[in-house]
Amino acid sequence: MVKYEDLPVKLMLYPAIFFMIMGMTVGVFIAFNGFLFPDYFAGEYVHFGRVRPVHVGTVTLLWLLSADIGLIYYFVPRLCGVPIWSKPIACLSAGLWWLALVIGVYSYPFGTNFGWEYAELPNWVSIVPTKAITTLAWVLVVINILMTIATRKYEKMYVSLWYTMGTMIWTTFTFITGSYGINWVPEGISRVNVSFFYVHNLVGLIFTPMGLAAAYYFLPKLANTPIYSHKLSMVGFWSIAFVYAWIGSHHIIHGPVSQWLQTTSIVFSLWLFIPVWTVVTNLFATLKDQWAQYSQSAPIRFLMMGNIFYLLTCIQGPLMALRNINEITSKTDWVIGHSHISLYGTFTFFAIAGIYQAIPVITNKPLWSKRLANWHFTLNMLGSVPFLLALWVGGFWQGMLWSTWANGTSYATFHNNLTMMTFIDTIAEMHPFWVLRAVGGVIILFANILFVVNIFNTIVLKPVPAMKRAEAKVTP
Amino acid sequence: MSDEQKHGWFSGFFHHIELSALITIIGIILLFSCAIVVTLLAPRYVDPTWTSPTSPYQVQMYESVDHSLYISKAQTGESTLQFVNYLKKGSLFLAFRESETVRIIAPPALQKYITRVGDAKLKLTSNLLLLRKPQKAETFDAVQATAELQKKLATEWEEKHPKPAEEEKEKTESVAQATPQKPEMPRYEIWELYEIPGSEMFVVGSSENILDSWVDANYTILDPERQYPFPTDQGVVYISNPHEYRITEYAYNDQKMWRYDPEGKPIEKFADLKNHPLGFLSRAELISLGEHIYAIEGCWYCHTDQTRTLVQDVVLNGSDSFPAPPSSASEYIYQKITFPGTRRIGPDLSRVAIKRPSRDWHKGHFWSPKTASPGSIMPAFRHFFDEDPRGTSKNTVGIPNYHFEAIYQYLMTKGTRITPPTQAWWLGQDPIHTKEIIEGEYIPPP
Repeated sequence: MVKYEDLPVKLMLYPAIFFMIMGMTVGVFIAFNGFLFPDYFAGEYVHFGRVRPVHVGTVTLLWLLSADIGLIYYFVPRLCGVPIWSKPIACLSAGLWWLALVIGVYSYPFGTNFGWEYAELPNWVSIVPTKAITTLAWVLVVINILMTIATRKYEKMYVSLWYTMGTMIWTTFTFITGSYGINWVPEGISRVNVSFFYVHNLVGLIFTPMGLAAAYYFLPKLANTPIYSHKLSMVGFWSIAFVYAWIGSHHIIHGPVSQWLQTTSIVFSLWLFIPVWTVVTNLFATLKDQWAQYSQSAPIRFLMMGNIFYLLTCIQGPLMALRNINEITSKTDWVIGHSHISLYGTFTFFAIAGIYQAIPVITNKPLWSKRLANWHFTLNMLGSVPFLLALWVGGFWQGMLWSTWANGTSYATFHNNLTMMTFIDTIAEMHPFWVLRAVGGVIILFANILFVVNIFNTIVLKPVPAMKRAEAKVTP
Repeated sequence: MSDEQKHGWFSGFFHHIELSALITIIGIILLFSCAIVVTLLAPRYVDPTWTSPTSPYQVQMYESVDHSLYISKAQTGESTLQFVNYLKKGSLFLAFRESETVRIIAPPALQKYITRVGDAKLKLTSNLLLLRKPQKAETFDAVQATAELQKKLATEWEEKHPKPAEEEKEKTESVAQATPQKPEMPRYEIWELYEIPGSEMFVVGSSENILDSWVDANYTILDPERQYPFPTDQGVVYISNPHEYRITEYAYNDQKMWRYDPEGKPIEKFADLKNHPLGFLSRAELISLGEHIYAIEGCWYCHTDQTRTLVQDVVLNGSDSFPAPPSSASEYIYQKITFPGTRRIGPDLSRVAIKRPSRDWHKGHFWSPKTASPGSIMPAFRHFFDEDPRGTSKNTVGIPNYHFEAIYQYLMTKGTRITPPTQAWWLGQDPIHTKEIIEGEYIPPP
């Protein structure tokens, strides 16, 4: 029996769970202070523009990416049959990672924003070279994981390992391109193009393969059943490798980039249907004859709901890339809804499911409360449905309102439309949707606080022996 | 042993990686680089607008004018903001232009630089010449020349406007209201043109932003042998009738203060302009700082900076009568960071300098967006303002600091530099047929 080293897993997962709450709290703060009561708490360091990147940085880097790395530290050794290649390097990289990212992300309110979306991390915060340290920490992760795979005992490579290896390579390139490479191209649209390449690949080539690697590992584990088709998962893997890197410029359709580039990105966006369907089919087919488990296990519910959200987000994505739909949805809240359904609805759900499976194993204790886990899922759904619907419907509505300016055949009419329904009027129309979004956000935050309580108690409390628990159930 | 036989040449480090995994890694890198080459590296070679400027005006504004115009805030003075053009030989064009009431005298050697009334072409030079109050010098007595010119002008005036005869005056008395009185002789402004001895000079600048002087027809450059860093054949930016920028220093409550004073002492060297107490910043520095502020304040999370090729966008950014042209790649080539944006919960800013050119409007708006624009969800940016240092201001808005000027100057580049002002879209010039296209009447040339 191999003894797996789980300290690195803990070093990544525990802080990540804490930062999930931090990030969501900042999100809720923004929903109120940015939209419902704009600028109620006013000032240089708390206004929307300075706090929003803190929310985004916390939930993407400090929570999701860190949690995914933690899960990779967990399942890669177990799929290879060897402990992690180097425990000291893993601990060192975790230390560097948290140091640089916490300082980096929480320095944004003090004016360190680098100015490119998702790449806000500054080169320097005072004397700390945050970006360089983050890069170094990541490279150490890559070396460690690749070496673990290279020295593995089990010869067959499970699909999660493929995705993990892909992630290691893609993330390295994507991160370097977006953080450093952007300064190597000419100023102007060339940099915009690199930026959107990075923005999209952060989701497509970092979070997607990491999330799918986790889903492919944890669903069979949780349901105790083999994956439906290894071949199908390979098709999905290769189509992701083929498609994602091409579609960055669909973020700037109708914008000031060349038409042929926009068309290229649209065509490749449509290809996205293939990897999505393979994943969705594969995961559903895995649980095909065992749907009872869905109602019995909260983590499985998280995984399968995440899967449904994945389907939704990837139906949205290619459609949003079509020029006529893009005309309505682009630059509206719809886009915000889309990014939340992928990073929150899909990949956060996957990561939560993974944590539910991993924590009992690495602590060697059962989950503190299944009931709380059930509530966690239910409240998450209750919160995310109004949250996401508000953003989609509201965003679509705003896009439709903007498009009314184009009614008519002469500039005089167009301009008259604009004076009848000014830009600021379309903002006022969003208010009810923003209320709904804030309510959904509060419920989600509350649900995840339950999650933290549950995980915290699992880690800290002494497990109640199964006998006693049975008694406690009988006595009342 | 058996491993090495099985895996052949790639034993050693990769000895546990099976062939398929290796092919995977190579495959991924290959596909990825292919995408990078086509979507990231190729476009700027395929599409020249990614790196070429929109117009010679844009080039001159960003590369030359912005680096010569310096802005600061005098503690007192007629207007708070001070504008100085810092010029070296060959850096910017000057014109010395007479009009009905403005006359220029000069020693014979400098006569050729003056554009007289009725001259067909505007004469431009990039030598260091200035105008001043006529002075007596060894070589050329401008005071005397001025007196002579005054006399000459008075005689000319008398000849042109003879005194109306007495009888005529009586005749017309009944219709006195309609009869023009003999016009009074105007006060002629007379300036002396002189050459600056050093290699640099400080010129009173103009606060005008958008309509910086620009000439693209009927002009001639008097020093043709000089090389300029930009093409000069399609029009140039120039400064009209420059005067030296002078200041007076004084003390107020033991504090050293300064103000603009045409009679004061000249600025001795460039360092004095930049350093305390004058503290001038060039417009290029301010625009760059403005871009930085735009990044760190997160303006770009709410405002887009692109007029898309959609009717709603060209209408949203258009003027009362003309649609705004959609943004082109070449508009952005002088920005370190470009913020096309992904979301619009504040209006688009790519044409904001035309929609909102007023410095005062922006002052009020940054101070309190909800007041200036009811219904706005924009936060207030009070840290762009200082406390009134002496508490004597009657303003309800604070006194803007250089952060405000920086973001203002940055915003004022948006939409104004696409074409020269003479071919501006807000004047109805429409070389790309935006209006015809959105009205469905554009027929592409065969």
